[in-house]
Amino acid sequence: MSFAHLHAEGYIGLLRSMPDIEVVGFSDLDHARGMAMSQQYSSIRFPSHETLLEQNLDAVIVCTENATRREAVELAARAGCHILCEKPIAVTLSDALAMRDAVASAGVNFMTAFPMRFDPSIQIIRELVQAGDLGRVYGVNGINHSEIPRAHRAWFASRELAGGGAVMDHTVHLTDLYRWIFDTEILEVYAEVSNPFYPDVDVDTAGIVTFKLENGMFAGIDCSWSRPTTYPRWGHLKLEIVGERGSLEVDAFAQHLTLTSTKPSSRNPNWHGWGSDPNKAMLTEFFASIEEAREPSVTWKDGFEALRVALTCYESAGIGQPVRLENL
Amino acid sequence: MRVGMVGTGSMGLAHANAWLEAGVRLSGVISGHLEHAQAFAQQHHTQAFQSLQDLLEVVDVLDICAPTHLHREMTEVAALAGKHIICEKPIALSVQDARAMIEVCSSHKVRLFIAQVVRFFPQYRAAQEILKSGQLGNLGVLRLKRAGYPPSPTWFLDETKSGGMVMDLMIHDFDYALWLGGQVSRVYATSARAFHPSSNRDYALVTLGFESGAMAQIEGGWAYPKGTFRTSLDIAGSQGLIEWHSDSSSTIKNFLEPQDTDVGAVGIPSSVLTEDPYTTQIKHFKHALENETPFDVTPQDALAALEIALAARESLQSGRAVHLAGFR
Repeated sequence: MSFAHLHAEGYIGLLRSMPDIEVVGFSDLDHARGMAMSQQYSSIRFPSHETLLEQNLDAVIVCTENATRREAVELAARAGCHILCEKPIAVTLSDALAMRDAVASAGVNFMTAFPMRFDPSIQIIRELVQAGDLGRVYGVNGINHSEIPRAHRAWFASRELAGGGAVMDHTVHLTDLYRWIFDTEILEVYAEVSNPFYPDVDVDTAGIVTFKLENGMFAGIDCSWSRPTTYPRWGHLKLEIVGERGSLEVDAFAQHLTLTSTKPSSRNPNWHGWGSDPNKAMLTEFFASIEEAREPSVTWKDGFEALRVALTCYESAGIGQPVRLENL
Repeated sequence: MRVGMVGTGSMGLAHANAWLEAGVRLSGVISGHLEHAQAFAQQHHTQAFQSLQDLLEVVDVLDICAPTHLHREMTEVAALAGKHIICEKPIALSVQDARAMIEVCSSHKVRLFIAQVVRFFPQYRAAQEILKSGQLGNLGVLRLKRAGYPPSPTWFLDETKSGGMVMDLMIHDFDYALWLGGQVSRVYATSARAFHPSSNRDYALVTLGFESGAMAQIEGGWAYPKGTFRTSLDIAGSQGLIEWHSDSSSTIKNFLEPQDTDVGAVGIPSSVLTEDPYTTQIKHFKHALENETPFDVTPQDALAALEIALAARESLQSGRAVHLAGFR
């Protein structure tokens, strides 16, 4: 459902490589983009979500803008489709709760698209932490800074459609990884949030976030759109975990070739990734959960908690003090 | 120039070598332990003295490389004796002590230089010059890291003497952040030691919100295995980005079979340079004294960095962000 989120372009290629999966088509409410994508990926474009959902589908991937995910999820649930939903799953908690209700009453699966849980390096780090290799863990500091994504899709930098900027876009991945790796919840959030980079957009472009976690650890996230658009790649996802035995550091996208060209290019050099694509493993888990009629390993709750934390970042920045998450 | 050294630890040694490079043979040395002073005197072809008063009789300049809680008293004694002073960072453990040091030097017409040596590291200086030249546009997000291993001299681990890791180590990057970012409005900090006070290890994240709207995340640690010391800077502006990491700038890499290696008592960053930054700093101090020109780092700069460190400690205790307008 929709090519608004650029991940849709990756998903369609991966889906086609999966032997038991048939790609029926896609919906896109944006006529021009829909036509372009239909041509580029040789796939049937439906002009509305409703017409797509009339095709007796088993499952959909919701790649609409952040603010229009609720509508898409409600339509898909009503049509009896299992749902893989891009992150952040919505822009307000009430939308997210409505999505949970729609999915529950339809009895379909809902998986939040957090691909980094399926990254092999992240999985090893989680195993090491959980096996106690670091001893007692004190804290973790993560970087998920990037370029501004508006060159790919302008709505990412639109308050109305994205619900926020860098904080909305980039706190959710590391928040989810922290909850998953350390098996804990976020207790308290402190955030500096501002827009020092692009005065022409109406969203935040920089954020430094600190959490206190329920297990006694603390955690940092740099979610800024602070890499220039000429950077050798979109950005980074790294984290360093510090405990009583020292530290463990993971640079999830370190596996790249450095390509330098004599031809003019916006990225020169260009870091050409060769690592495993975690999206493939994520899609495999989504379909396995449907096949085996069980809950997917990443749930609505995971998407909801990450959204809640992102929204709390804005609240903290607004008052200049840490904000404790309510016990729901 | 007749120079007397106080202290024979890691910094005493670094300064002694720097004075030698600057063409000055030390006129004398004292230490908390006479035998340490005697060994140092032999090694550096100088004379060990029993007391500060005795040493002050034969020098024009006192170089204080003693534990931080002794800075004020030694500075006062030296200033009363009419001696110029170079003193290790942090300037003192309290604003009151720092102000007293500045005032006593001013009223006795002697000059006071606080050795915030990071300003003399070529990569830090070059990055500051690039930012100030406007090549990066406006500062947006500043990330600074400085992490080593717990120092072995016991006074470092006693917060009443060193102020702990946040004061003793992170003061470098607080000073650097102020140099780049100007006035700070808010300080928020989390640390391992705040949770685990009995541990020698510490690890902290400090977030600064600048009046300009820029922000900084400063990471500090006595967290690594013995021998590991890592530093990095990442300066993102509206028109450009500077990245530097000690991991990737060593000109010599050692893949020799390990032997019994001698690890320094206190982690110090190392770069292979024709002139080490401690020498650059001592030469600057000497030149400014001889030519009556201003110091690149003023005692007020050192006081401002101390205020950030104290605000960070206050934040660690209260769990709240410290807004500097109402602090002190």
